[in-house]
Amino acid sequence: MMLVGDFFRLSLHNLLLHKVRSTLTSLGVIFGVGSVIAMLAISEGAKRSALAQIEAMGVDKIIVFSKRPPVSGKSESSKNASIMERFGLSSVDRSNIAKMDNIGQITAVFNTRKPILKGTRRTDLKLMGCDYEFLRDSQARMQKGRWFSPSDYKNNRCVCVIGKNVKRQLFFLGSANIIGNTIRVGDDVFRIIGILDNRYSNQYPEIGGQNDMILIPMTTARALYKDYTSIREGRNFRIARVEYDLFLIKIKDTSCIDNTAKRVTRYLEKNHSETKDWGITVPLELLMRMEQTQNIFTIVMGSIAGISLVVGGIGIMNIMLANIYERRKEIGIRRALGAQKLDILLQFLIETVFLTSIGGLIGILLGVGIGSMITYYTGMPTIYTTWSIILALVISSLTGIIFGTYPAYKAAQQNPITVLRAE
Amino acid sequence: MTPDGKKIPNDNIVRLVDIRKTYVSGNLRVPVLKGIDATVRRGEFVGFIGTSGSGKSTLLNILGMLDVPTRGQYYLEGIEVGGLSDMEQATIRNRKIGFIFQSFNLFSHLSVEQNIEVPMVYGQVPTKIRRKRSLDLIARVGLGHRLGHRPTQLSGGECQRIAIARALSNNPAFILADEPTGNLDEKTSDEIMKLFHELNRRQGVTIVMVTHNPAFGPHYDKIIRLRDGKIDDTPFEWEIEQEAHRAEAERKEAEQ
Repeated sequence: MMLVGDFFRLSLHNLLLHKVRSTLTSLGVIFGVGSVIAMLAISEGAKRSALAQIEAMGVDKIIVFSKRPPVSGKSESSKNASIMERFGLSSVDRSNIAKMDNIGQITAVFNTRKPILKGTRRTDLKLMGCDYEFLRDSQARMQKGRWFSPSDYKNNRCVCVIGKNVKRQLFFLGSANIIGNTIRVGDDVFRIIGILDNRYSNQYPEIGGQNDMILIPMTTARALYKDYTSIREGRNFRIARVEYDLFLIKIKDTSCIDNTAKRVTRYLEKNHSETKDWGITVPLELLMRMEQTQNIFTIVMGSIAGISLVVGGIGIMNIMLANIYERRKEIGIRRALGAQKLDILLQFLIETVFLTSIGGLIGILLGVGIGSMITYYTGMPTIYTTWSIILALVISSLTGIIFGTYPAYKAAQQNPITVLRAE
Repeated sequence: MTPDGKKIPNDNIVRLVDIRKTYVSGNLRVPVLKGIDATVRRGEFVGFIGTSGSGKSTLLNILGMLDVPTRGQYYLEGIEVGGLSDMEQATIRNRKIGFIFQSFNLFSHLSVEQNIEVPMVYGQVPTKIRRKRSLDLIARVGLGHRLGHRPTQLSGGECQRIAIARALSNNPAFILADEPTGNLDEKTSDEIMKLFHELNRRQGVTIVMVTHNPAFGPHYDKIIRLRDGKIDDTPFEWEIEQEAHRAEAERKEAEQ
């Protein structure tokens, strides 16, 4: 029986003896591990950014929002066309919810639904009235300029803070400093005092992301529009009345967020019993559900990539079998000089495991390279976790053991006499 | 007492008792060895000589423990090796038998000293001792100047010398040489035989040589003749001729 060090020396020697063949043999594992690493990094990146998006909505919050109720029939809607439509959350709801247990601050947002034009073309941008705390509670930050001041609220000033996408959509790229510029909406003109960036680009139900909003103080919005909003119907606009579009409700004790959410739901069900003109979202719940689906996604992606690793392993087995036929004389000589069957078996097995492990290491580098390239060209985030790298190494060595055992066994079973006679 | 006057201790290294080997192929039974009884004593230089088809290859494989006899016992230094496991057999092959092949069977990708070390690698000899002994052995076979060379850079005779050094590396009980001069020209063959002779006479190495070549008769202490799977003591024709030559030479010497 050989010493452990000799096994490794011998295997390395044999692999280096046939550099091209060794490289070609391990290519399968290199690409297999590379794709596993890249896939896991992509799905991990997708998971993290999806979770961050939800997390940015606030895991310590309940989100309640207004929803335009479905119109029951066309005839009815045309019949009632003269009656002003009215739906959504009201200030009564706000004060009632605020009175409940375990409820902290409520931050409200009002969507004016005014069309915002660039030239004559309508944009997707939204003009929103919001409470002072909206910046903090939405986890956004100021990219430039400043947020509203209490005196902006007190004096109903026509100032606005725009999301970072607004700048891109309304202004030319060249215009570097747009703070102090104005935006015209209908007959109203707002002076830009700051640019806001929500780097999680979290989307709120019904009203969307902050980066596409033009925010004005809630008091200004009320002074200009009261609770009137314009609803688009085909090419026309109708006026409807919605007091609030979104409540960000802070929860004092998040451990019983479920019960609090149920209580809010029951309240809304009771007080908005005619039509379902509201919705509720608990980001924490969403987060947990998302985590589960993302984990399934990761497993599926990893398994698909794993198939290429199996293919690589089969390739290695094939080449090792051919290799053994070619080296049967060496096997015979070694047996004559005192090698046990176990020596021969281990020699070939270690050679294969060496090959796949080195392939695994290179494959990790390749996977990181592929991931970085994907991030560079598509902007998709990729994240390499320690466990995915450990997993790749373990799996590549295991591939060597699984697909190397049969050829190594065949090598050990060679009859030294026939093998020696092969000239 | 041998012709050289060398003393051979009465110590059996190899004892073959009624060795039989029959190859079975379907319904066909081909007996190759039909009951071989032979002994090799320590320090002896024994030649198994037979024509092709006499069963000498089969006997060689059995002597080298690469094959097992169908019947009969093979005692190596008193141990019956037939019933041993693969691991034990490999260990005995490694420690007790030094193989020498007709086609040298060196590893072309290893240097000469690494080739010599191979049996020591399987014998778990520590690296330092291995290196020292391989250098000693290279000097013993007279190839000290070939250190670091690959077998492909050596002549046939030099290759066989390296193979002899390799066979000696674990201090085996005996050297088993299979037609060791078969691939060499006459002059080199003589040199190799001289080396074997020296190893045997000066250093007491036991040598078992399996060959069909009658030319080296005088080197052997004992000739075991194989004919048709059996031992046959009738001298071959060439032996009678050689004897006649020798008698002639003696007669001439006496006359002078």
